[in-house]
Amino acid sequence: MLLTCPGCKTKNFLDPYPFWNFKGTTRCAGCGKIWRIETAVGACVAGPEAADGKADLLPGFAEKPDYSPITGPGVTRAAPRARKDSVCRPIPIQKNVRGNTVSGRPLKKEDLVGSRPRFIAEGK
Amino acid sequence: MAKDTAATKQATQPFEEFCKETFDFKKAFGKPEALKGYRVLSCTQYILGPSCASYMAELGAEVIKIEAPRRGEAMRHTTPFNEPFLYPLSKWIPERGTGLGFFGANPNEYFISVDFHKPEGQAIVKKLAAKADVMVENYRPGTFDRWGIGYRQLREINPRLVYCWLGGFGGWGPGRVRASYDILGQSQGGNFGMTGKQEFMGGAPAKHTIWLADYWGGMMGAVQILAALYWRDKVSGEGTFTEYSQVHGVTRQLEYALPLYGRHGITRERWGNWDTQFCVHGIIKCGKSSYPQSENPQENEEGYILISAYDDKDFATLCKVAGDGKLAEKYAKHDARVKAKSQMEIYPALEKWAADKSKEQVAAILDKANINNQPVWNAKEVANHPHWQQRGAVQWLDDPTFGDLLHQGPAYKMSHTPPRLKWALKPVGADNEYILGKLAGLSAEEMRKLEEQECI
Amino acid sequence: MATPKVAPWPAIPIAKPDEVYAGLSDQAKDYPLFLESIVRQEHNFEKPEALARLRVLDCSTRMMIGHWCSSMLSELGAEVIQVEPPGGDPQRQNTPFGRREYMFKDKETGEEVGGQFLHEMRNKHSITLNLETEEGRNILKDLAVHADVIIENAPPGQWDSWGIGYRQLREINPRLIYCWVGQRGQWGPAKDKPGVLDPTAQASCGFVHGTGDPKEFGGQPTRSALWMADHVGGTCAAMGILAAVLHRENVSGEGQFVEATSAEAIIRILDYSWAWYSMDGSIRPRYGNWDLAINIYAVNPCKDGYMMVGGGHDRLWYRIWRTVGDEQPAVEEDILGDPHLREVTERLAHDMQVKTYTMLGEWLKDNARSEAERKLAKQQVASGGVLYVNEVAEYPHFKYRGHVAEYESPHYGKILYGTTPFLQHKTPGRLKWLGRPTGYDNEDVYRRLLGFNKDDFKRLKQAKVI
Repeated sequence: MLLTCPGCKTKNFLDPYPFWNFKGTTRCAGCGKIWRIETAVGACVAGPEAADGKADLLPGFAEKPDYSPITGPGVTRAAPRARKDSVCRPIPIQKNVRGNTVSGRPLKKEDLVGSRPRFIAEGK
Repeated sequence: MAKDTAATKQATQPFEEFCKETFDFKKAFGKPEALKGYRVLSCTQYILGPSCASYMAELGAEVIKIEAPRRGEAMRHTTPFNEPFLYPLSKWIPERGTGLGFFGANPNEYFISVDFHKPEGQAIVKKLAAKADVMVENYRPGTFDRWGIGYRQLREINPRLVYCWLGGFGGWGPGRVRASYDILGQSQGGNFGMTGKQEFMGGAPAKHTIWLADYWGGMMGAVQILAALYWRDKVSGEGTFTEYSQVHGVTRQLEYALPLYGRHGITRERWGNWDTQFCVHGIIKCGKSSYPQSENPQENEEGYILISAYDDKDFATLCKVAGDGKLAEKYAKHDARVKAKSQMEIYPALEKWAADKSKEQVAAILDKANINNQPVWNAKEVANHPHWQQRGAVQWLDDPTFGDLLHQGPAYKMSHTPPRLKWALKPVGADNEYILGKLAGLSAEEMRKLEEQECI
Repeated sequence: MATPKVAPWPAIPIAKPDEVYAGLSDQAKDYPLFLESIVRQEHNFEKPEALARLRVLDCSTRMMIGHWCSSMLSELGAEVIQVEPPGGDPQRQNTPFGRREYMFKDKETGEEVGGQFLHEMRNKHSITLNLETEEGRNILKDLAVHADVIIENAPPGQWDSWGIGYRQLREINPRLIYCWVGQRGQWGPAKDKPGVLDPTAQASCGFVHGTGDPKEFGGQPTRSALWMADHVGGTCAAMGILAAVLHRENVSGEGQFVEATSAEAIIRILDYSWAWYSMDGSIRPRYGNWDLAINIYAVNPCKDGYMMVGGGHDRLWYRIWRTVGDEQPAVEEDILGDPHLREVTERLAHDMQVKTYTMLGEWLKDNARSEAERKLAKQQVASGGVLYVNEVAEYPHFKYRGHVAEYESPHYGKILYGTTPFLQHKTPGRLKWLGRPTGYDNEDVYRRLLGFNKDDFKRLKQAKVI
């Protein structure tokens, strides 16, 4: 469910699986206000109603009306990560997990001249 | 003399040692290949078609993968969380890489690029098909027929060709026009709806994490192809057409669900991590993480373990070990404890017992009591486990293009003609000169022209 | 409590070709009708069988991997003889929640069999043989002379210690292809222990860890409902066996030793887990019903259940939002205006997936599975609902193509089952029979293969050897 905060207009993304049949409170990632809502089969059937206390479940993600992202501990729920430092952008990798050369970063046409095994062995 | 000594050693050495030597994957290259001399064309994309051809590449067939020029097939452009790529994608686009979504579906193959839409491309395919034993394709039904390179046309050129089409919904029937994906096959075939946490526990259907319908579907295609080759070479001298629908395959896998529905009108529902037919035979949570100091969030999580104690004797032992005499008394007989309500009492009790332990601690206690168990291992634990490493289930590969990679080994072992791993994959069109020169008789000048026109 | 009456299947009659292709031009009908003429299952018994010359002894018990493997071969025409302990394979007793009323009863003998065993007992003969006795093992050696393939899943090394392992049987029949199947292996630090069953394999190979919702969604590692690793492992065993047959026929004249495990079959198809780990230490996380590498490619809740929508590349991305925009223009506008969703690869970040599927959910909540599919199909987007087995059984496309069929067994009556997917022009797979009472073929098999007479049968039965 998309919860546009009645206060600050932040778009709070209440992701489908945990929020499809939900009764409780969530917290706006933009302004921190607590909102009580009830959903049934994905549709909002009650609320948002201002509430106090701690949120039962945080949004999965949020953004301002101008699309700038809002995330963080205590603000949105953590993302599943494969490593400590996931960035979700192509990352150049030259040495693999046991310290050997692997061709994990962009190349130029000049890099392809000559034998490929030599290129790998020399770790260029 | 040497042969006799070797034969005697084999006949008398301890069984485990005999197996270790017989199936040593490091010795594979000293042994012949089961599909030596067979040639397969892989006009495929994504996973269903490509994997089918790859199982034959592991057995030693010469498999030629044919992709769209320059950028190759769509699966090269998928990678988990957008991070890891293997470079170069092709000699034309070295600054881009092949994503790991492509990994594992096309090992040991030769890679050429041909545009099927163009008449020059179709002419090349016909030349290759004349010399091939198998054609594997998973384009929409009727597409290759329209391009003049379908079964009806190719069997005129090569009556010995085994033509294997794989796809989602098949080429005939009311749903034939639907495109398909692996998880669509899982969803519509029926295994998706029964997998996952129980409905009454707030659960939802869960997809199988692997492209099960696709990768396993490719294996089913390969079984059909091997049987067809056997029949051709042994009996008939004729090729054939095989159709494999991946959603059909999923429905084939539903075990007792269809007989139960047909006889009693009962629809099988989700039963989570427990088993509908055996108790105790379920996966429970262990309260402690195995690697609390790790910085990787996957390792910080608490562990899980499968406990398998379904014989009455084993269940009694399990209860003793878990210190729960009441449970032992109440559910001494399997008939009593396999009931749904019984399981709802037993597993939470076991999780209470495991709440202050890691999965390794639970496993150690159960091993000592001779209770079958299997910790739920993550990708790193599997990759580093001596059992899988020794057996070659995962292998460090010195890939000629991309370097040092950990690669899955072949899925099964053979003593005399083991399947084996040669290379992981290659850039788009890497073998154009070699294959098109060898099999299509194209000169360097002709290839240059076709390349300019992006026919290859 | 009386068993409620169940409506006959199919509840809705199966369509005819004229109805399915009504209104299409000749050109549009041409290819599908050509396919029907060569692969429709009605023609199966007019055609030969690819593996008709092979004889297989399936001596596996309890697990599914061996029975699945021999089904692949039996559907394609091999003569498969299931060798069961007297009293039958214990798997015959498996029934959901221990309910005997769910079992299938033989009309003549009253013997009961559970649905799991029944469904896989296709085209196979059943003989009984007690391998715990020396005489039983001698009989197995005699049977091995007449077999092309033998499949067993005994605990590691047991058959070898009994004198009927690969090392011994190959002296008796050098052409024999000997296949051991199991969960984790017959050698290695974690080799199988007696009594292991799937999902042992699923848990040991990384599959369970990678399936289900992430902890951040309140989820946990999840097993397949089915003994799925056994299905994949059994298919791999069949590949190995057929490759061995080809090599024997083409080149060597000799058999060999094949080993297939359910765990390694799954490891083979866990696509990028190993390479990803080796490149940068990543441990593949669970991602529920979403995908780590493709967006939009997921199953999400909808108005009447769960809905799969797929569209990884640009063209389909925009078509999906166009469909959504027909009913929720503000949603489409927001998506099209978002600079972070412009690049295909940028849509993979978890935050972007949360936004994508939350917004898609705004449309899915108003659309049932069939409605969503119809609307998306107009834009050539592939989609479909999650179907439960009662829906699968009545789905028009599956009924028409015979994915589901009913077999009338002389022993058990009408049985609804999943048919063989081995559709073929020349040598299609087929069903000859489903289900076989324990030891039904003792008289036939032992007499024609080993020349047993009346006295042999009497003596061996008394000695509990068969």
